[in-house]
Amino acid sequence: MILAIDSATPVAGVALLEAENLMREEFVNYKKTHSETLMPMVDKLLRDCDKSIQDVNALAITIGPGSFTGLRIGLAAVKGLSLAAKIPVVGISSLDVLAHNIVFSDALVCPLFNARKQEVYTALYDNRDFYPHRLSEEMACSPQEFIAMALEKAHELGRQRIVLLGDGYYPYKDLFIDSFGDKMVTAPPHLMPIRASALGSLAIKRVCQQDFDDIITLRPSYIRLSEAETRLGKEAL
Amino acid sequence: MMKDVYILGIETSCDETAAAIVKNGKEILANVINSQISIHQQFGGVVPEVASRKHIENIATVVNNAFTEAGLSHQDIDAVAVTTMPGLVGALLVGLSFAKAFAYGLNRPLIAVNHLQGHIYANFLQHNDIEFPAICLVVSGGHTSLLYMRGINDYELIGATKDDAAGEAFDKIARFLGLGYPGGPAIQKAAQQGQAGLFKLPRVFLDRNDFEFSFSGLKTAAMNSWKKAEKQGNYKVEDLAAEFQAALVEVLVEKTIRAAQKYKVGTILLAGGVAANQDLRTRLEESARQRQLNLFVPSFLLCTDNAAMIAGKAYHDYVNGDFAPLNINAQPSQYSLIK
Ligand SMILES: [Zn+2]
Repeated sequence: MILAIDSATPVAGVALLEAENLMREEFVNYKKTHSETLMPMVDKLLRDCDKSIQDVNALAITIGPGSFTGLRIGLAAVKGLSLAAKIPVVGISSLDVLAHNIVFSDALVCPLFNARKQEVYTALYDNRDFYPHRLSEEMACSPQEFIAMALEKAHELGRQRIVLLGDGYYPYKDLFIDSFGDKMVTAPPHLMPIRASALGSLAIKRVCQQDFDDIITLRPSYIRLSEAETRLGKEAL
Repeated sequence: MMKDVYILGIETSCDETAAAIVKNGKEILANVINSQISIHQQFGGVVPEVASRKHIENIATVVNNAFTEAGLSHQDIDAVAVTTMPGLVGALLVGLSFAKAFAYGLNRPLIAVNHLQGHIYANFLQHNDIEFPAICLVVSGGHTSLLYMRGINDYELIGATKDDAAGEAFDKIARFLGLGYPGGPAIQKAAQQGQAGLFKLPRVFLDRNDFEFSFSGLKTAAMNSWKKAEKQGNYKVEDLAAEFQAALVEVLVEKTIRAAQKYKVGTILLAGGVAANQDLRTRLEESARQRQLNLFVPSFLLCTDNAAMIAGKAYHDYVNGDFAPLNINAQPSQYSLIK
């Protein structure tokens, strides 16, 4: 049984999967802070399924990119659960998870998270199969840089359509419409945000292969340095 | 007779990742502190985002080490205590999120602890003979106040700083004089090489009969004295550090002693990071001895941020059944000691 926990963005989500069966998913995309909501959501999810934390065989967590604080709240919770209940952990890129909302598609798939500071977190994906296949680095870049990159890759691969999804879409919606024209499509509302169920789905393969992360050293994938490190011109400390 | 109670404490409110295991609110079985000071020194002060990043990297190791040091297994723990206020929000949230999940995973209660109450409790970890009522001087980076205490959880605030906390004033002046970070130890070190009284700084509010403090004016006066001295070309930074420390300590000591006399108590407690200042300890000791007051001061290790004080304080909440719900949030700006 896999318990998937995601608090990488303003969305808080938890999902419980038994083998490949999604038993239950909780999803909140409304105000309340993750530190208040996340553990009560986990507790409710398990109880509603008549399970306890002892029944869980693996934990899955989105390790980033995303909100720095959100990533840490989720990972700290997973570290606590993992150590206390001795459950192994799989950490998965939040961009991979968002991209997984689109499967078996011949479009270029572009998950976007709002990175503020006039930037988005993004990467480009080929999702013709079940699993997302990343075609670029994960990055924080301006929407203009993203557009140029996506157009070039779509052209190079001969993709007719570009799918945009994620909360990084909304702030730059007009710019995207102008730049991509009728090449662009967006995901429907239920596939627009990152989903803990998608995280659980991606985790299955690694759990079956016993491909777990070291919970002691696992850290968020921030992509960006902290501002102070940037100012000092430092590498990550 | 109640069975022994083992509490795991977790503290991440600033730049120390700490975990400790305390038995019956008294016996420290493990006290693990991972300090980030050398990292933040490069920035001249604590950088909240950097501190939070280090907390999430270190927390699992620190907690594991606490269990190893105590020679206990997870199942031996009766409750998990964590600092929820005050402090840096991102830093607090790492410890709180971890503690909630760890308690949940073990099916043990969670106990929320105020960091400042933890500092006060450090005294009770080391001394068995503290008698109430008592006056407690709490001095740290974010706090300077005097409490009248009838018991561990029963106290009232009788005075506090109107502006900067004592530790904050040390940090600001140390930075201004280029003495480095953290400011308290830096000023203390410089002061040892200097002489108080050559510069003349005010003893702010000592003329008032209340228990309020103000260190912002002292800080400004010190900066002005330094600028003037630099112009005249005749100065020693150590002398200013000595005078600054003397001015600050004199006010703290005097007001604390006056409070003890006014409230007719026989006991004085010192708590908080600034309680590690040697000059403050010595002078308060002298003054207390002259007036036959019992002074209690935590060891240096327990003056700085640690989780033993959190686990210790939590014992009393455990006994009272005062547990925190799973939806509890951090209260980073809760500087008040009165709930
Ligand atoms: Zn402190």
